[in-house]
Amino acid sequence: MTRYILKRIGYMIIVFLIVSFLMYSLYNLIPSDPARAEMEGLKKSLKPAEYEAQYRQLRQEMGLDDSLIVRYLRWIGLWKDVKGEFNGLLEGNMGYSRFFKVNVVDAIREPMKNTIFINIFSTIAALGITIPLGIYCAVHKNSKFDQSVQVVTILGYSIPIYIIVLIFMFFFCVLWRVFPIQGIKTPGITYANNWEAFVDKLYHIALPVIVMTFSALGGMTRYVRSSMIEALSMDYIRTARAKGLKEKVVIYSHAWRNALLPVITSIIGWFLGIFSGSVVIENSFSLSGMGKLYWQGLNNLDFELVLAIQMFYTVVSLLGALLIDISYGLVDPRVRIDK
Amino acid sequence: MADQKKKKSFFLFRWLKRGVAGNDGEIRDILREEQVQTPFKTMAKAFFHKRTAMVGVVVFLIIFVVVIVGPYIWKLDLSDQDSTMSNIPPGYNLMKVPGEMKGHVRDIAAGGTYGIGIDDKGKIHIWGHTRITDKLDIANVPDEVQNANISMIAAGEDHAVALAEDGQVYVWGNTRLKQGELSKEMKAAMKDPATWNVIQLEASNQFSAIVTSDGKAYFWGNGNMSDIKVRKEYQGNIQKVALTSNEYIALLRDGTVAYTGKNYKTSPFAVIPEGLNGKKVIDIAATSKTVAAVTEDGQVFMWGNARSGEADIPAFSAPIKSISGGRFHYTVLLEDGSVVSWGSNKYGQTSVPSSLKGRNITAVYTGNFQNYAVDDANHVYTWGLKGFLLGTDNLGRDMLTRIINGGRVTMTVGAISVVIATIIGVLLGGLAGYFGGKADILIMRISEIVGGLPFIPFAMILSAVIGASIDATHRMYIIMVVLGVLSWTGTCRLVRAQILAQREMEYVTAAKAMGIKEMAIVFRHILPNVFSLLLVSMTLDFATCMLTESTLSYLGFGIPLPTPTWGNLLNGANNSVVIQQYWWRWVFPAVIFGACTICINLIGDGLRDAIDPKSVER
Repeated sequence: MTRYILKRIGYMIIVFLIVSFLMYSLYNLIPSDPARAEMEGLKKSLKPAEYEAQYRQLRQEMGLDDSLIVRYLRWIGLWKDVKGEFNGLLEGNMGYSRFFKVNVVDAIREPMKNTIFINIFSTIAALGITIPLGIYCAVHKNSKFDQSVQVVTILGYSIPIYIIVLIFMFFFCVLWRVFPIQGIKTPGITYANNWEAFVDKLYHIALPVIVMTFSALGGMTRYVRSSMIEALSMDYIRTARAKGLKEKVVIYSHAWRNALLPVITSIIGWFLGIFSGSVVIENSFSLSGMGKLYWQGLNNLDFELVLAIQMFYTVVSLLGALLIDISYGLVDPRVRIDK
Repeated sequence: MADQKKKKSFFLFRWLKRGVAGNDGEIRDILREEQVQTPFKTMAKAFFHKRTAMVGVVVFLIIFVVVIVGPYIWKLDLSDQDSTMSNIPPGYNLMKVPGEMKGHVRDIAAGGTYGIGIDDKGKIHIWGHTRITDKLDIANVPDEVQNANISMIAAGEDHAVALAEDGQVYVWGNTRLKQGELSKEMKAAMKDPATWNVIQLEASNQFSAIVTSDGKAYFWGNGNMSDIKVRKEYQGNIQKVALTSNEYIALLRDGTVAYTGKNYKTSPFAVIPEGLNGKKVIDIAATSKTVAAVTEDGQVFMWGNARSGEADIPAFSAPIKSISGGRFHYTVLLEDGSVVSWGSNKYGQTSVPSSLKGRNITAVYTGNFQNYAVDDANHVYTWGLKGFLLGTDNLGRDMLTRIINGGRVTMTVGAISVVIATIIGVLLGGLAGYFGGKADILIMRISEIVGGLPFIPFAMILSAVIGASIDATHRMYIIMVVLGVLSWTGTCRLVRAQILAQREMEYVTAAKAMGIKEMAIVFRHILPNVFSLLLVSMTLDFATCMLTESTLSYLGFGIPLPTPTWGNLLNGANNSVVIQQYWWRWVFPAVIFGACTICINLIGDGLRDAIDPKSVER
C-alpha cells in the first residue's frame, strides 16, 4: 500500500509539472508586456533614447528576455531568479495581483474563507438529503414516491444552475422577500458582536446554499439509488434475508456498505469542490468567493491571479484523485492494488 | 449473395401468400419469433414502448425543427437594436383600439409603442404598452385632461400632448427633459383667444409643436437635442410642420417648403430638392431621418437620410390627398379613398391590408411602426407593428427571434463539440482498449488528468486566452473545440471498457484467424458492437455540452453578444428588476432551454434502458 501511494504521489508531481508548464505557456501566448506597462508613466518625461535604454534594463531586471523554460522554472521556484534566489510557487510566492494591487496570497485569503464557509453547509445538507433519499428510493423501487423523486432529479440535473438560481431568486427574493438577493453581508452594517455577524452571514448565504444543495440533489440521488439497487440485487442479500436477518441490517449493513464504493468517488469529489466554489452561483449572488475571484481575474486580465487559482484547482483535483484511490483501498479490500 | 436474394424473395412470397390467403397453419412459437428479431429491433421496440422517452423525443423534435427551420423565417439582424422598443411585454396589443372608440373616432395619434385616441365626445383613450419607467406611465392621464373636452392629440416618443377645446395644452408622460415647459412666446399667444386658433399639433422625440391659424409655429421640449427654433423671417408664414426625430421642416403659405430652424446651414433637410422649384406643395410629412413633400401635380419628393427604402416611391393611381410618415415609412391617402405605403416593412407597416380595398378612407394616422386608417363609416383599420409574441429585451430586440436563433447556435455548438469529443474518445479509447500495455496506461493517465481538471474554470481560461483576440465566428469554433477537447474522457473510458470485454469474444478470435488487420478488427468489427452504448453516451453528452456552452456564455466566456445563445440571453437577468418586472426576458429562454435538456436526458435514459434491459431494474 505504501509503495502504491508513493508511486501515485510521484505520478502526481509529474502531472502537476506538465499541467503547470502547459498553463504557463498558454498564458505566455497572451501578448502583454509588464515592463512596457511599468514604464508607461515615464514615457513623456524621458527622451526616446533614454526611455529605450531604461526599458531594456527593466526587461532585463524582470527577466523577460529569458527563454520560456527559464521563466517557467523561475515562476515555479526551481530556478534562481534575477536576484539569485529561489522565489516561486513552491516557496509560497504566488505572484502579485495587478487588479487588486496586493499579493495573490492576500487576495485569495478572504474569498477562500467565504467559499469554504458556504460549501461546508451545502455539502452537509446535500449529503444529508441525498444518501437517505437514494437509499429509500432504492428500497421502495418503482413506488409512487420513487417515481416522483426520479422526475424531480431529472429536472435537477438537466436544468442549468443559473436558471435554478433565477427561479429561486424569483420566489425567495422577489415574490416572498425572505432572503436578500445579493451580497454576503448587509451593506453598511456594524455588528455589536461576533454572533450577530455570524447570523447575518448565515442569513445571506442561506439562499446560495439552498440552490447549491438543490442542484446537487439530482445527480447524487440517482447515483446512490442505482448503486444501491445494484447492491440489493446481489446474491448475498438474498442469503442475508434467507438467514432471517432484520431488513434494517440487510439494507444498512450488507447492501449499503457495498453500495458505498462507487458513491465514495463522488463524495470526495464534492469535498474538494468545497475549496473551488461554484463560479455561477457566486457570480449570480455576488458572493466574494473563489469562483467570483476567478471570474474577476479573468475578466480583468489579471493573469497572475488566475494562474495561481488555476494551479490551486489543479493541485486540489490531483489530491482528490489520490484520495479516491487510497480510500478505495481502505473501503474495499478487493481493490488493494499492489501493482 | 445470390442465396440471400433467393431467400428474401421466398420470404416475401410467403409473406404475400399469407397476407392474401391467411395463415397456412404455420406454427411459430414465441421463442422462435423472438429469435427472429434482430437486437436492433428489440432495442427500438423497447425504446418506443417507453412513454417518457417518447414524450422526450416528440418535444425535442418540435424544438429542434423550430430551432433549425425558424431562423429562416425569423431572420436575425445582429446590428438590430432600438431603444424605443425596449422591454415591451409579450402580447399583440400595441394597435388594439378600445371598443368604446369604434365608430366614434375623432383623432388618433401613434406614439412609440402606444396609441392615443379621442372619441367624438372629446374623451381620451389609450392603448398599447404605455409604461415608460417604473414610475411613469402614459396611461396615467391627468384628471384635468380626463375632464376636459379634447380636440387634438399628439403622441411623442415618451410623452403625450393634448389640446382642449378651450385652447389649453396638456402634456404628460416623461416631462423630465422640458417636454412640459411651454415657451414664453407661446404662453403669451395663448392669452389671446382671438388669435389662438390651433390648426396643427405634433409631437416627436422629446419635443412638440403647435401651428396656429395666423401662420405661427411654436416649439417646446428638449432643445439640446433637437433644433426647435423658428427663424424670425418665417414666423407668421407657416402653414404646417413635419417633425423628424430631432429636426423639422415647414410648409409655407405660398406653397413652398423651407427648413426654418436655426441649423439651416448644416442640416441635410435644408437642401430642398430642385424638382420642387416652381411647384406648389400641398402636404409634407417626415419619418425619423427623412422628409417628403407632395406637389399639386401628384408628385412625391423625398430627401434626407433614407436607409430603409423610403426613397422607393411607388406610382400612384390617383392624386394624393395627404401624406403622413412613421418611423421609417410613409403612407399616403389618395383622392379615391385608397391608401399606399412604402418604406421599411420590418413589422409589416407598409403592407396595407386587403380589407381596405373598396373602402372610402377619409383619414390616415401614422406614427412609429403603426398605421390607423378611418373610413367614411368611421371604421378603424390598422396595420403595422401589433406587438411581440415573447416581448423584447433591454435593447428592443424581439425575444422570439433571439430565442430561436440562439437555440440554433447552442444546438450547433453542442452537436459539433459532441462529435469532436466522440471522435477523440473513440480513437483513444479504441487504441487503449485494444492494444493495452503502455499505450493503455498513457492514454488513461491523460484522460484522468483531463477529466480531473475542474471543467468550467478550465474552459473559461481557454476561451479567454485563445478567444481574446478573434472575432465572434471564430470564437464560436474555438468554443466547440474547447468543449470537445475537454469532454472526451467519458467516451474514452466507455469505449475502452467495452473493447476490453469484446476483445475476448469469439468473433474477434475468428476475425484474427482470418488474418484481418488489427485496426480493422477494432474499428470495423468491435466498434459496431459498441455503437449502441456510444449512442447513449453521445445523447447524454449532447445535453451536457449544451449546458456547458450556455453556462460559459452566461458567464461571458462563451459566445459573445450580440450573437444570441440560450446562455447569454439570460446574461444580466439576475437582478430583481428584471426578474420581477421584465419576467419574459428570462422565463421564455429558461423554459425552452430547460425543456430541451430535460428531453435529451429523457431520450438518453430511455435509450440506455432499451439497450441494456438489466438497467430497467435500477
